[in-house]
Amino acid sequence: MEPRATRARAFRARPVTIALAVLALPLVVAGLSMDAHFRRARAERAQPVTDAVAVRLPSPDMALFGGARWLRAPTLEEPGAAFADGPGAVDPDPAGGLVAPPKAIWAQVKGAR
Amino acid sequence: MKVMPLLGYALRGLARRKAKATVLILGLASGVALLAAVLFMTDALRAQADRLRVAMPDIVVQKLVAGRPSTLPRAFTSKIEPIPAVRAVRPRVWGYLFLPALQGNVTVVGVPAGVRPLQQVQGTLGQGRDLVPGAHEMVAGATLAQALGLLEGDTLGLPSLGGTAVPLTFVGAFSSSVDLYTADVVLCDEADARVLLGMGPDEATDFAVELTNPAESSVIAQTIAEGTPGLRVLEREPMARIHSLTYGRRSGLFFVGAIPAILALLLLMSDRASGLSREERREVSVLKAIGWSTEEVLYTKVFEAALTGSIATALGLFVAYGWVFWLGAIGLRATLAGWSSVYPDLALVPAVDPAQLLAIAGAVLLPYVGLCVVPSWRAAAADPVAVMRGE
Repeated sequence: MEPRATRARAFRARPVTIALAVLALPLVVAGLSMDAHFRRARAERAQPVTDAVAVRLPSPDMALFGGARWLRAPTLEEPGAAFADGPGAVDPDPAGGLVAPPKAIWAQVKGAR
Repeated sequence: MKVMPLLGYALRGLARRKAKATVLILGLASGVALLAAVLFMTDALRAQADRLRVAMPDIVVQKLVAGRPSTLPRAFTSKIEPIPAVRAVRPRVWGYLFLPALQGNVTVVGVPAGVRPLQQVQGTLGQGRDLVPGAHEMVAGATLAQALGLLEGDTLGLPSLGGTAVPLTFVGAFSSSVDLYTADVVLCDEADARVLLGMGPDEATDFAVELTNPAESSVIAQTIAEGTPGLRVLEREPMARIHSLTYGRRSGLFFVGAIPAILALLLLMSDRASGLSREERREVSVLKAIGWSTEEVLYTKVFEAALTGSIATALGLFVAYGWVFWLGAIGLRATLAGWSSVYPDLALVPAVDPAQLLAIAGAVLLPYVGLCVVPSWRAAAADPVAVMRGE
């Protein structure tokens, strides 16, 4: 087996290797940003299709909540009937997340009163 | 000070401690990938909902009975139509129907007469054509059609109150590009929808209200709510907040579950912070003994940490992006996107921009590099002879 010291010496940090290691993060950021940009552009080109379908649908919610009636269209249902299907059941959609509650709206409502 | 030779030496240092460097990079990359994937997916879900929200009515009016949404008499439109700035009030017929065959709900939507046919916009239908009013036909989401094994011309008898509904002929399926919104949707004639959902001819599920000036929606919403007690009035703009809250909660739930991974990440960071290994300290003292300055040694150690952190962050971001947008967020989508019976292909459009990617990278990289400065400086400032003697 090759001695450890020899193997270490065998590793030569060439300028290309150094550049690749240093530029790995900027390259990934640039590459992912470009891919995201192209995918968004493609989605924007398909927006007329989405708009044509949207006028026939009851809400802007995605079809991701079919197993729970109160969550299929949270924009229309959850504000007033969060647990209508299972009073006292284990909360399937527990509170607490990254997005803060809409305090500005609460203040607005309070002000209106 | 020459940066390139120091960077080269830092890289060689990482190569000498290949096993440790690999474990550090993989550990850090896993943590970054997990957190970034949740952020990417949450943002993409919000953006996806926004794309449809712009085409939604300005106001939706529902009726509450005993705190639950109920059907509305169509005559209620006469209370809303006279309000200035109201352009149109459209009663809508839609609801949910449980399909025993799927053990899940489908969303039945009644199409009123006079609506622009779907085929007028190319790409809305993946197969077939739009339904003809009065012909007992239906258009379904691509996923639903596939789940039920429907082919063009097939008839489907959906369960209804008293079994009075006429079987519907499947004439077309939505395009897969809108499957995220239509996967569980059955579009049929308004009269058929009423029979399926058990609604009378004078009933509507809700009203879609269009305004001449959408900027006045909050004033109009208040006027409607005050004019007719028992109504729930939903504006278009707050719907975005509901999406934010829903997906925010879900990502919060996931982060709670990911606490062990985050702790592992912190452990890795604290390993860097707690100091250099005996072997690394000896290496530093040898460098000092052969004439390296404290500054050069310190920079080498900082470069080592920066290279490890940036390679790990790049790898983590790449894996997160690929996981969510190329592989359909396998294992993550059920937690963040919900539990459906009729599940669409989750082809999300990235909402990621360079600023967000750089923010994630900065949030990981800066503390990681920062934590290694103090122990490196201590080692660099120590007496090399004392370190080599093991004092």
